[in-house]
Amino acid sequence: MNPQSPASLTNDAPWIVMKFGGTSVATLPRWQNILELVASRRAEGARVLVVVSALSGITDALKQLCAQEDKGKRIEAAKAIAQRHYDLLDHMQLAVPDTLGERLAELAQLADDGPSLLGELAWSARVQAHGELMSSALGSAFLSHSGLDTQWVDARDCLAAIALPNQNERTKLLSAMVETKPDPALNARLAALGEVFITQGFIAREAQGRTVLLGRGGSDTSASYFGALLKAQRVEIWTDVAGMFTANPRQVPSARLLQRLDYEEAQEIASTGAKVLHPRCLSPLREPRVPLLIKDTNRPELEGTLIGPEVREHAPSVKAISARKGITLVSMESVGMWQQVGFLADVFAQFKQHGLSVDMIGSAETNVTVSLDPTENLLDSDALAALASDLAKVCRVKVIAPCAAITLVGRGMRSMLHTLSSVLAEFGQLRVHMISQSSNNLNLTFVVDENVVDELLPHLHELLITAGALRTDDSALFGPSWQALYGTGEVLPPAASWWREERRADLLKIGAGATPRYVYHLPTVRQQARELKTLAAVDRLHYAVKANTHPTILKALAEEGFGFECVSPGELKAVMAVVPESAPLLFTPNFAPREDYEWALTTRATLSLDSLYQLESWGELFRGREVVLRLDLGRGLGHHEKVRTGGSGSKFGLPVEQLDAFLRLADAHGVIVRGLHAHLGSGILDDSHWGEVYGQLASLAERIGSVTFLDIGGGLGVPSHPGEARLDIAALDKVLREVKAAYPHYKLWMEPGRYLVADAGVLITKVTQTKGKGHGQIRYLGVDTGMNSLIRPALYEAWHEIVNLTRLDEPATALFQVVGPICESGDVLGTDRRLPEPQEGDVVLVAQAGAYGKVMSSPYNLRDEAEEVILD
Amino acid sequence: MTTNINPRLTQVFRYVRCSYADGVAELVYAFDHGDELVERVRFPNAPAIPASHQAAFDQALKMLHLIAGVSYYKAGVPPRIEVAGGTLDDSTADLLDALYLHGLAEFAYRNGLDLRGRINFPRGGAKQPEAKALGLPHRTLVPIGGGKDSLVAVEAINSIGGDATAVWVGNSPLIAACAERTGLPMLNIQRELAPGLFELNRLGAWNGHIPVTAVNSAILAVAAILYGFDSIAFANERSASAATLEYDGQQVNHQWSKGYAFEQLLGDWLHQHVAADLDYCSLLRPYSELAVTRAFAKLTPYFDVFSSCNRNFKILGPKPADRWCGQCPKCHFVFLALAPFLPKPRLLSIFGRNLLDDENLAPGFDALLEYQDHKPFECVGEGAEARAAMLALSQRSEWQEDALVARFIREILPQLDVSELALEPWLQPSDEQRIPERLLPALAFFA
Repeated sequence: MNPQSPASLTNDAPWIVMKFGGTSVATLPRWQNILELVASRRAEGARVLVVVSALSGITDALKQLCAQEDKGKRIEAAKAIAQRHYDLLDHMQLAVPDTLGERLAELAQLADDGPSLLGELAWSARVQAHGELMSSALGSAFLSHSGLDTQWVDARDCLAAIALPNQNERTKLLSAMVETKPDPALNARLAALGEVFITQGFIAREAQGRTVLLGRGGSDTSASYFGALLKAQRVEIWTDVAGMFTANPRQVPSARLLQRLDYEEAQEIASTGAKVLHPRCLSPLREPRVPLLIKDTNRPELEGTLIGPEVREHAPSVKAISARKGITLVSMESVGMWQQVGFLADVFAQFKQHGLSVDMIGSAETNVTVSLDPTENLLDSDALAALASDLAKVCRVKVIAPCAAITLVGRGMRSMLHTLSSVLAEFGQLRVHMISQSSNNLNLTFVVDENVVDELLPHLHELLITAGALRTDDSALFGPSWQALYGTGEVLPPAASWWREERRADLLKIGAGATPRYVYHLPTVRQQARELKTLAAVDRLHYAVKANTHPTILKALAEEGFGFECVSPGELKAVMAVVPESAPLLFTPNFAPREDYEWALTTRATLSLDSLYQLESWGELFRGREVVLRLDLGRGLGHHEKVRTGGSGSKFGLPVEQLDAFLRLADAHGVIVRGLHAHLGSGILDDSHWGEVYGQLASLAERIGSVTFLDIGGGLGVPSHPGEARLDIAALDKVLREVKAAYPHYKLWMEPGRYLVADAGVLITKVTQTKGKGHGQIRYLGVDTGMNSLIRPALYEAWHEIVNLTRLDEPATALFQVVGPICESGDVLGTDRRLPEPQEGDVVLVAQAGAYGKVMSSPYNLRDEAEEVILD
Repeated sequence: MTTNINPRLTQVFRYVRCSYADGVAELVYAFDHGDELVERVRFPNAPAIPASHQAAFDQALKMLHLIAGVSYYKAGVPPRIEVAGGTLDDSTADLLDALYLHGLAEFAYRNGLDLRGRINFPRGGAKQPEAKALGLPHRTLVPIGGGKDSLVAVEAINSIGGDATAVWVGNSPLIAACAERTGLPMLNIQRELAPGLFELNRLGAWNGHIPVTAVNSAILAVAAILYGFDSIAFANERSASAATLEYDGQQVNHQWSKGYAFEQLLGDWLHQHVAADLDYCSLLRPYSELAVTRAFAKLTPYFDVFSSCNRNFKILGPKPADRWCGQCPKCHFVFLALAPFLPKPRLLSIFGRNLLDDENLAPGFDALLEYQDHKPFECVGEGAEARAAMLALSQRSEWQEDALVARFIREILPQLDVSELALEPWLQPSDEQRIPERLLPALAFFA
């Protein structure tokens, strides 16, 4: 291709530095991509400096060459490396350019010489530098040949390594630092040479003229150095992902792209986990205020992450959450010693002596705790044992591991503490070994047991969003989720709400009459039911009726072939009154009185037991009966502490440790355990979770010959926030089928509740008045019902979408606290909702009110209850 | 089952017949006159059996039929045992009587049954002539269990350049992953329990522990003749011979079929009845658990695949918690026994948590130490070994503040005689073993 040549540039045209990594320069198509991108930047009217890494795999090959003592093998290795470059040139249909020919000859000579002339380290640096020298020479030939005249620049003539105190020969040569003051002379020198340049990442030259390397993350750092020296308009790092995310996408697929960060935040995120950028490459840019942009080479249309000085005013927000695993803590306890001059210095000298470097530090009057990263020295030598035994001479030592550091990053962390209450509550349930927060106020780190992290991280990410601490509603800062950008399989968009278009007129008519009203859309119930019936692995579905006991809904689900799970005699009676005799019934009470069981035994319901007490004290009641045993697998999940139903803090289920005792009691009373049941909570959107429960139940069932079915409960999450992904039913089915293949002899049951009815119901209410407080800063919008009709926001901090149905098409201009008429300060249906300017009598709709709405309503304040209307 | 029998009320357990064709052995059993229970054992890529090996194969298959019956017999434990074809010779009947009595001892204890005098295989049959050597190829079947022991056995044989095949029965993904990591040729034999057994369980059959190592041993004896191996090298340590508890005058050993008594019985029986040159042994027999864990501590490449956990993980995941439940005696013991031989952070990275810093696990570790409780019903080392390991940790600064180590120092240690707790004696081999000459040099691996 032949890019058009734009008008030539003046001497003071701005610079753009573009860096491409090893995989980006390894093939012809990727180079064509580079050509296009570079030409487009040049067309913006900028001088372009391209910084490249070595072809992928070449740096490792050069390192191996260096480690090779045999001269013949070194020469062979150099030939193989040369061949990689010849092959690529072949693809490009280019002859070997002189610049590359010189490099190849030099490499062959170095391989022949060996380290004796230059010295081991200097020789090694010189050899390794050839990866970038060769790739840039090759790139220069390709770009020029393709019509984009490109000058090859030797980075060593531009980047001067500086000598630092504390540097030994190794760090001086293999992880050097470079002076980064803007260099107008370099700028002028290059500008005189042309408009597009290509140079090497990773290498520089020191005062004696020797080639040095920049160490890990070296190519990114080179790009930054050039950006600083040339005071570039920006530095672009082109890689295989669109930028930094709010969490590691491998741990949290719903992590959102961070579109704007300031240098300090980005550096913090890079240091605490993000691999996309090496943290050291940001500091050179801070002083000259050169922005850095991370872009995806394969998807250049994506906005990427722009890192720059803090410019824009915006609400303080947590930007990212990260976890680092494999951390070891050393806790040192001593009374009164820490204040002695030099004591702490002596203690830290021990760490140095044993080759262990300290990361975080937490201290109290009598204790100093430090963290160690998982180095080879820590894992595979006696260093830690030796350290502990030395430290034990002066203080009490405890080694705590394996730990993980969970870090929240965001500017002004301390000012956000109040928004973190639900996150902090989560940590309250864990063993937190250390909390660290530095004076720069950019992070807050919790060190916890490593084994909780995989489940905890997605959960915390979700909590941060729900709590309004991670303001994903600010679309300037937060981009799409990783799942949406790179996730495998189709991304499920939120389902179109039936009330928004289809039945809006009906709802406005209802709203014109007496309010509040609950309105249920039957087709949505059926649609959800049919979706769950696509779960091929599931043999029987029970509707957990506590979510909504409206007889029409019960009938509709019976028609769909659902069984019914009831938790009280009242629920059982309500169900039996409307569903046919053939519908299976489950009775799953918790802390119910003996009479409830006695009565339930007279019905056709299958009973579930969940404590030793029931068999110890009322065993004969169940003689000869088949029961389901509800187990507590020892951990809980869910969107709020109060809807979590597993773990010792929960009253549900028989602890696994008591299983054997239960089985002995069952045997003694002739009670047959036919099924095992576990239910871990509600609102779970991660499909792998059910596979784990299922697998655990199955492995327990193998010890009990009589079991024929496993009931993995419900808790299928229903997304409430904008941007939250729906539960992927197909993925869930795949997870379940995998487990089923391993345990084909057990039938699988599930008990969904909220999933079936939440979206089907809305609460219709009317605007009564508005109020402003504190110079109009806080505005209240009053509606004619509140926590008496819908208690979930007050009880669980549940988030329900709220819209002004009368003014659905008007722009949402003002921020409101939507409140009800109940005399409780907690009577808030929604906080900080952006809505159109309302008028008294407007119809307001609270969405997702089909589950746990009407059934949890109360006559509090003796306000009239909301009547229920069915739409079919 | 056509009739809804109550398995616990049955009168006779019958060994109906066994047969073999095209790589599939069928083992048929019945209670009373109920439906036949048919178990199938599948040998992949089975070669044809040479005529010279047929008699040996038939004998091995017959023993497999008799031993594998234990899984079904235990469902009803009826008073009478019938074997198709009448009586067994005395040495065969002796082996089976002993296996069923001792191998089901834990089962009997848990279910409150007394099997003494109840198990009588029909005896008095004519003594068979001594089996001849078949000239079996000099190669070894090494059963892989997914835990540390079989991996140590593999590496011991590797260390002398022995020709070994990693073999396992069933479809545990954990074992498959370990077998793969050995880099040896692999043989995966499938055992399909009779579906009728699930039905019997539903109908209230007795349930509990069976001597599964005996069943696997019998399957491997058939495999050795079929594929041509001159040795089967299990990885059972000497502590497997120790009783778990004594109850009503009877020794109860959870791992009896991993013990030396059974090894001798089956080894001798195979020499007499199947082939004089088929050796059945345990390569780890001279060693304590601690000696084996010390050897295993050097085998870093296995750390992220092995598990000795008692929970049957049918679905593998990448996390330590996907392989170690952390709750069972096996997890506790392996953790404790490896601790003296590995850097602490490395050990903790294997398990994903520190079991010795969890006070809730005190009862489990007490049981291992035989403190306030009997030895747990699992394949774990002797209490004295656990105490020796714990003492070693109690003297190490990086361990001594951990909850259960501190508790040991505070509460248990004062009651013990420290002079009997040295680690070193446990690392010495004993003389008790029946390892064939060809494999003896492999023991240098433990030095």
